[in-house]
Amino acid sequence: MGSLAVRSAVLLLLLLALPLALGEYWAFQLGLFFLYAIAALGVAMCWGQAGFLPLGQALFVGLAAYLSGAALIQWGEAWWVFLLLPFAALAAGALAFLLGLIIFRGRSESGPYFAIITLAISLLAFQVANSWNEVTGGYNGMKGIPGLPGLEGFSDVYYLAAVALACAVALCGWLVQAPLGTLWRAIALNERRVAYFGYDTAMLKAIAFGLSGVLAGIAGALYAPQQGLVTPELVGFALSADLVIWVAVGGRKRVLGPVLGVVLVGILSAELRERTYYWDLIVAAGFVFVVLYASGGIGALLAPLERLLPGRRKALEPLRAPAPKAPRTAVTLAIEGVSAAAGEVRILDRLSLAIARPGIYCLIGPNGAGKTSTFNMLTGELRAQAGEVRLDGDTLSKPTPYRLARRGVGRKFQIPSVFGELSIDENLRIALWSGRTSLLDWLRPAPRRWDTPVLAALRGRYPFLDDGARLASALSHGERQVLELSMALVTEPRLLLLDEPCAGLSGEETAQVMAVIRWARDTLGLSVVIIEHDMALVKQLAEHVFVLHQGRLLAEGDVAAIRSDPRVHEVYVGAAE
Amino acid sequence: MDPLLVTQALNVLYEVVTLAVIVLGLAIVFGLLGVMNLAHGEFIALGAYVAYVCQSLGLPYLAAVPAAIAACALLALPVERFLIRPLYDRPFDTLLATWGLSLFMRKAIEIGFGGGYKSLKIPVSDSVLVLGAPFPAYRVLLMALCAVLIAALLLWYRRSVAGARVKAMVGNRELAQAVGIRTDRLARDTFVVGLCFAGLAGVMVAPLVSVQPYMGLDYVLRSFFVLVVGGLGSPLGLLSGAAAIGGVESAMSALVDRTAGYSTVLLIAIFFLWRRPHGIFGRS
Amino acid sequence: MTTSLARRKFLIASAAGTALIGAPAFIRNASAAKDFKIGMFYAIAGPAANLFGPTQKACAELAVEQINAKGGILGRRVQLLFANGDAAVADATKSAVRMLLEDKVDFFLGSHNSAVREALVATIKARVPYVYTPIYEGGECSPSTYVIADTPRQQMETVLPWLHKKAGYKSVYLIGNDYVWPQVTNKYAKGIFKKLGVNVLGEEYVPLGAPNKFEEAVTRIKGAGPGLVLITLVGGDNVNFNRTFAGFGLDKTILRVSSLLEENTLLGIGAESSNGLYGCMSYYSSVDTPAHRAFKAAYRKKYGDKAPILGLIGVDTYAGVKFVEAVVTKAKANAAAKVKSAANGITFASATGTMTMRNRHVDKDMYLAECKGTEFQIVETFSNVKSGQTCT
Repeated sequence: MGSLAVRSAVLLLLLLALPLALGEYWAFQLGLFFLYAIAALGVAMCWGQAGFLPLGQALFVGLAAYLSGAALIQWGEAWWVFLLLPFAALAAGALAFLLGLIIFRGRSESGPYFAIITLAISLLAFQVANSWNEVTGGYNGMKGIPGLPGLEGFSDVYYLAAVALACAVALCGWLVQAPLGTLWRAIALNERRVAYFGYDTAMLKAIAFGLSGVLAGIAGALYAPQQGLVTPELVGFALSADLVIWVAVGGRKRVLGPVLGVVLVGILSAELRERTYYWDLIVAAGFVFVVLYASGGIGALLAPLERLLPGRRKALEPLRAPAPKAPRTAVTLAIEGVSAAAGEVRILDRLSLAIARPGIYCLIGPNGAGKTSTFNMLTGELRAQAGEVRLDGDTLSKPTPYRLARRGVGRKFQIPSVFGELSIDENLRIALWSGRTSLLDWLRPAPRRWDTPVLAALRGRYPFLDDGARLASALSHGERQVLELSMALVTEPRLLLLDEPCAGLSGEETAQVMAVIRWARDTLGLSVVIIEHDMALVKQLAEHVFVLHQGRLLAEGDVAAIRSDPRVHEVYVGAAE
Repeated sequence: MDPLLVTQALNVLYEVVTLAVIVLGLAIVFGLLGVMNLAHGEFIALGAYVAYVCQSLGLPYLAAVPAAIAACALLALPVERFLIRPLYDRPFDTLLATWGLSLFMRKAIEIGFGGGYKSLKIPVSDSVLVLGAPFPAYRVLLMALCAVLIAALLLWYRRSVAGARVKAMVGNRELAQAVGIRTDRLARDTFVVGLCFAGLAGVMVAPLVSVQPYMGLDYVLRSFFVLVVGGLGSPLGLLSGAAAIGGVESAMSALVDRTAGYSTVLLIAIFFLWRRPHGIFGRS
Repeated sequence: MTTSLARRKFLIASAAGTALIGAPAFIRNASAAKDFKIGMFYAIAGPAANLFGPTQKACAELAVEQINAKGGILGRRVQLLFANGDAAVADATKSAVRMLLEDKVDFFLGSHNSAVREALVATIKARVPYVYTPIYEGGECSPSTYVIADTPRQQMETVLPWLHKKAGYKSVYLIGNDYVWPQVTNKYAKGIFKKLGVNVLGEEYVPLGAPNKFEEAVTRIKGAGPGLVLITLVGGDNVNFNRTFAGFGLDKTILRVSSLLEENTLLGIGAESSNGLYGCMSYYSSVDTPAHRAFKAAYRKKYGDKAPILGLIGVDTYAGVKFVEAVVTKAKANAAAKVKSAANGITFASATGTMTMRNRHVDKDMYLAECKGTEFQIVETFSNVKSGQTCT
């Protein structure tokens, strides 16, 4: 992370030197915009990294501003009032984290509804700030806030704001490169898949939202002494909207993007708005243009510049990863009399099957028999209305992908769902970190270098996995299937659910996959349940076969027994040989 | 009956019925097509300003109706072509793009007409006696018109061939295409019709509200809340949402004050957004 | 080698970017240093801009033209620098700082709401004198701040007893926007009502800046049945309320007094809703005095047919500029202490006559008007009403 420190130091020096060139008024103006830039950074972390857009961020700016203002009015003379300001920011962050947790746990996807919820909450806060005359001063605002002791000049807060901005940029730069950043970006691409790897995605998103709250809070806490007055306008929709526009135009994926957006668009607006009526029209049109055609914003244009920056990372030594936290015993699964329906259609009809030993099991049956639905029922996508499922003897009630992954159940989907815009390395690491990391690990750079024997072995079998920096979307269909299978295996699950793992693969690739499955069974001692249509595959792989029909278990046994079972023949009219 | 109670009840009814008509355009665009059109309020404002222009030119008030519809349709066509159609499968970006459009329209109106409010003369200015309490005639007329409009639209949607085609497209787009429905054109026409209804709503309420460039923001937020609470894609949802939001706000405003009314609406909307985003009658 | 070269390139690029950002500061035209600069905050853009902005600018520029024709202030040509007072508080503060640090204005003139005034006072920190012109709630005694606005005493002590004598109302309902000016005005009015023996039936506030609708409030008022409604709503709310009021037929039985009702707002309210509506301010365009006739002639001569409608909020900037001329000329400087001693007792021109400043506020003639259609008919004049403020 040395390059990050260098870049941040350069930025800080630049910012501190600016007033010498531009004069006191510009320092005053820029100081305010640096505060807005800090808040905009928070929006960019949520939107550009974790994939959800907070439309009411001014709520946290305003909350911290009111708290900071009140503190300064009460204790403005004391030197230690400086220490209270971070508390105002942390209060805003705590509120953001709590709100995020409540909202994200209550809903499964973020999308536009989250944006509108945050908007509605900020509107509510505006109503409160506007009418609660005793506490916030109502429409007139909280007046007479003294400046920070020793910083009463117009441009004094600028230096504090510059330092805060440089620290915020450094912090965000760190997080973007840390494992947490990778996880956020994965959530933005496919949140459900991340949950299947055993991550509490609601908590991860809430952390992002909490961070944005803290950043907005810093902006608010410094706003109060700089302006001397906090009005409900600060909590209103206008600032929230401006933050989004600045981030969109500046670029939400790059850390410097929001800073650019605020400085360029914000300052230009302030200067030009009073001269030409049409400036706001231009900004609106520019915003629409960015949304339609240039979602990277101005920051995207800077990409080539970044290559000039010092400190390109060299390849690092791999580290041995810790063992997974899930228990390493063989899994037992018992499904008893499970029924599930969607409307009028019975999907599963008193299904009962059991797995008591490690091995390779195949789930076969005609279309619509309920094979994928069985998997869905196990991982909680399909609600069972009757019956019981016991995993390791414990009854499974209300399963979720996240909880099941924590107990060592892995799943691979029929259509490969790797994280296309992440590199192969990042994809594998996400799988590797699952079940082995804690919050602290996500902040350290070390887990990026983790390696395990399983991963090394897989790399040996599939050399293309070695090309770690390649984007997953650049892989062929077959390679993507293999990548996803590798990801599932790297988590070292105890029960692996594979849904047609060889779909779309050539004969050679299929043979390789079968070898991997057998190898995994031998090395990891796991139970694999494979949904398969290809009887040749089933013949070669399966140690035990379950035949499903109309949501019920029709027959089970080894391959020979199934082949000779007359009931199975009846169901498979013209079965492939 | 106590005339005061009658007046208050009429106020609530007025609020609910006009809200339903205001939301109608968005119910069509968002509820049927799934387009989160944040510029909906600005099209209402456009209708109101067209009415203002017509009145300043000395035309009878009814002339504003075709004028507003024409203005909205003219604007809706390029918006659908360049903003909405490319973003059909990116609902989030649609939200942002229409929001940028709303900013643009708001500023354009401000530049064209100035930032202050405009007052329109009420077309019908007497009051009538309703159950013994005097009530402004134009409001009564408006309530009747809105009820007729909604009923007519419901009937058309249920019974007509075009309505059936729209229902098919909404239910399963590929299948509708497979049976020969031109979904592209149908979506475009539905979108334009939705925005024309917004303009029409603007013409209807213009004499009774402050016509100023920022009027649209409040309407679009309220419309979203109505649809979230009532449920998308069903007329029953529109009506129940309007009844819930309009009724609660009006009742709270009568009992306490406007701030309490609006805050209650916000709380209800937040709850539904969080727990039941498909609303009371929406499909999940 | 390459990293240090790259670093240098990066620094140069950043410096270039910085220069680009800073460029506007140098592009701004530097005005002649000898000019006497007045930094004027008025409604350039925003909800009030359409109503008051053009008049505010026109009247102020008329005053400046008249002063410059006579040689300026202390021999220096007067120049007006404008900033938007109808903006977010942070923007107004920024403009004030720019005017202090970059433009180096000699005097501030403000025609905007109280929230912005408080922010400006806190920012200017008495470095430069500041005169505030529109109607307000009183109580502004910050150093180096001068107010020529109508105060609640001037408005309420005149119209409320007069109407009581004439129409004999026994109860009153108060409705206003929820911020300091209506709150303080109502408090003052309630004192007067107590002395008159009038019952206050209700007091209600609606948020400022929200799209308020008044059906429920009007219904409440109808239920309470007062003889008079005292309205301290502003702008669009004032228009909306009065139209709804008349729409429900209450104008036939209940009198109304609106504290901030000038020509533009009355136009908005319209002739069919203005029956029984009264106001009391220090300016109406229908006031008939020799000074006003001369003012209107000069105004029409300068602006011709495109002249913006004259109303109190705009016309007070004329008086404001005239005040600046008078006080700086008498003090022979714009230094704070000299201006302060010169200001007490100074008389200066307004659009309708003269005003005298005492205790940094102005005693003035107040006119009581009844609305007839969309015009104001002056029904009573109160001479030299004291401001009731006691700043030292």
